[in-house]
Amino acid sequence: MEIVLKTQNLSKFFGGLKALDNVNVSIQKNKITLIVGPNGSGKTTLINTVSGFYKADSGKVFFDGKDITNKPPHEISKLGITRTFQIPQPLKKLTVLENLLVFYNYGTELIEAVNGKWKKKESDATEKAFKILEFLKLDHLWDVQAQNLSGGQLKLLEIGRALMRESKLFIADEPVAGVNPVLAHEILSRFLKLKDEMSFLLVEHRLDIVLKYTDYIYVMANGKIIAEGREEVFEDPKVVEVYLSAKG
Amino acid sequence: MEILFSFALWFGLYAIVALSLNLEYGFAGIPNFGKALAVLVGAISVGGIMNRILAYFYGISEDNVISLSSSVRGIVNDAILSDPVLGIVIFLSSITLASLLGAVAGVIFILPSVKLKQDYLAITLLAISEVVFLVTNYSTEIVGGYYGVSVPDVFTFSGNYRNTFFILVILLFAFLVYFFVERISNSPFGRVLKAMRENEDVLKASGKNIIVLRIKAAAIGSAIASIAGALFSLYSLNVIASSFTRVEWTFYPFLMVLLGGAGNNKGVLAGVAVFVFAKIFLTMFKFEITALLNLPFEAIWFEYMLFGILMFLVLYYKPEGIFKEKPIFTKPIKKVVYKISGAKNN
Repeated sequence: MEIVLKTQNLSKFFGGLKALDNVNVSIQKNKITLIVGPNGSGKTTLINTVSGFYKADSGKVFFDGKDITNKPPHEISKLGITRTFQIPQPLKKLTVLENLLVFYNYGTELIEAVNGKWKKKESDATEKAFKILEFLKLDHLWDVQAQNLSGGQLKLLEIGRALMRESKLFIADEPVAGVNPVLAHEILSRFLKLKDEMSFLLVEHRLDIVLKYTDYIYVMANGKIIAEGREEVFEDPKVVEVYLSAKG
Repeated sequence: MEILFSFALWFGLYAIVALSLNLEYGFAGIPNFGKALAVLVGAISVGGIMNRILAYFYGISEDNVISLSSSVRGIVNDAILSDPVLGIVIFLSSITLASLLGAVAGVIFILPSVKLKQDYLAITLLAISEVVFLVTNYSTEIVGGYYGVSVPDVFTFSGNYRNTFFILVILLFAFLVYFFVERISNSPFGRVLKAMRENEDVLKASGKNIIVLRIKAAAIGSAIASIAGALFSLYSLNVIASSFTRVEWTFYPFLMVLLGGAGNNKGVLAGVAVFVFAKIFLTMFKFEITALLNLPFEAIWFEYMLFGILMFLVLYYKPEGIFKEKPIFTKPIKKVVYKISGAKNN
């Protein structure tokens, strides 16, 4: 069992609140790992800390065996971790196509902008972007500004942008929230197909849709991992209690 | 004719500054409230540094930079009259020096604030700009403080046509700057700058280093604005620090960018044209307008007040400006779209 991402006693505090409390997770290579838990259990904080958006207060994060704890987000992204956001973060005034192109690995070199040597990469990026848009059924909206998309379409845009990167680990925060069930299954089926090339870490509440695609599950509550395993974790009394008290 | 010359001169100078600000603010989202600083650096390059370099070459020494600049101007003007190539060499060297120092200043002055969010960044840049302006204005060591320094007439060989020739050169530079910013802004680099303006976290998630991008944008923007400062100084034959106020070289360029349309270079040129026309019109007729409207304050304040109100109206009623920002649809994108739509139609 090869591990692509591992956290070691990872903790994060917000003032007196322990958002992550000695979290240990191991994400297996070429598998789909799911993190579930009630609202406020620390799932998104875990993603933000692993991807460099939050600084860990203690503990370590290892990716492909390398210590990436508290590295800046762009460096972590370059190493091969791509993430989406729980609340969609569109580049509002940019078109749908442009939103995807920004995630392709080019466009930061000033000298290329002057000498025009970006054209081949732009062509490749555009072809790739259209294939992704076609799959996400957003291709007819390619020239629409992202600020004009619906909530569900914005979720798809998040996934589309992440797919533009050649990543080793795809971290998706509620990837199918607000997406119609048919398309949600198509997206998760696509993840299944991509498993040979990359690993997945998903946070998702829609268990009825996502469970059959997952290989391993972590359950979080109050910043801690309270259970892990396959679908049987939901029979664990601690998990049942957490979910029942959250609903109550 | 004089009005036309005045329009062309100020259009050229302000176009260079406004286009540079558009790259920083309109594209990259850097609210450079210290824009005047870059223009001042261009003036310092000419009045403070190039004068000293020329004094060194001609073996001139004086007690202070004010006297030194007068001596340099007299000797160098004579030399240019007998050898016009010298004038062109000094001109090009001054512009090159100004752009290099402008780029360096842009990097140095954005470094302390590069990690800040936009509003803090804006106020920090304003503060840095004001400090440098005040030091330059009150110290007579840099460019003679409020006394100012003289500058050689690099185109003195063109005789009676000197001003016309110089204005044409300024317009040529404005065109070159427009061509340059259009080229880099209509590329993936320009798109990445826009993405930084829209959402820094998304750009970080895409693997882009926003600190490096901000530094690049500030370096280019300052280098370009410094060219305007150098051109203005070489044209007016002197450098007086008090000419480089935040109203003239920060507030007005912001007004032009917002009026024309931030993120649209053509729009910015339109904004510059409207502004310069209005400014010349007001300068010519401000006493008549004041008398006609029976304004209860000095005529000189009318211009500032009017442009202040205009800024408010633009931000409130037409924040996108005269020309809206357009998506960056490059030739490769158009080709792919054409191919895909052709395949679908078949």
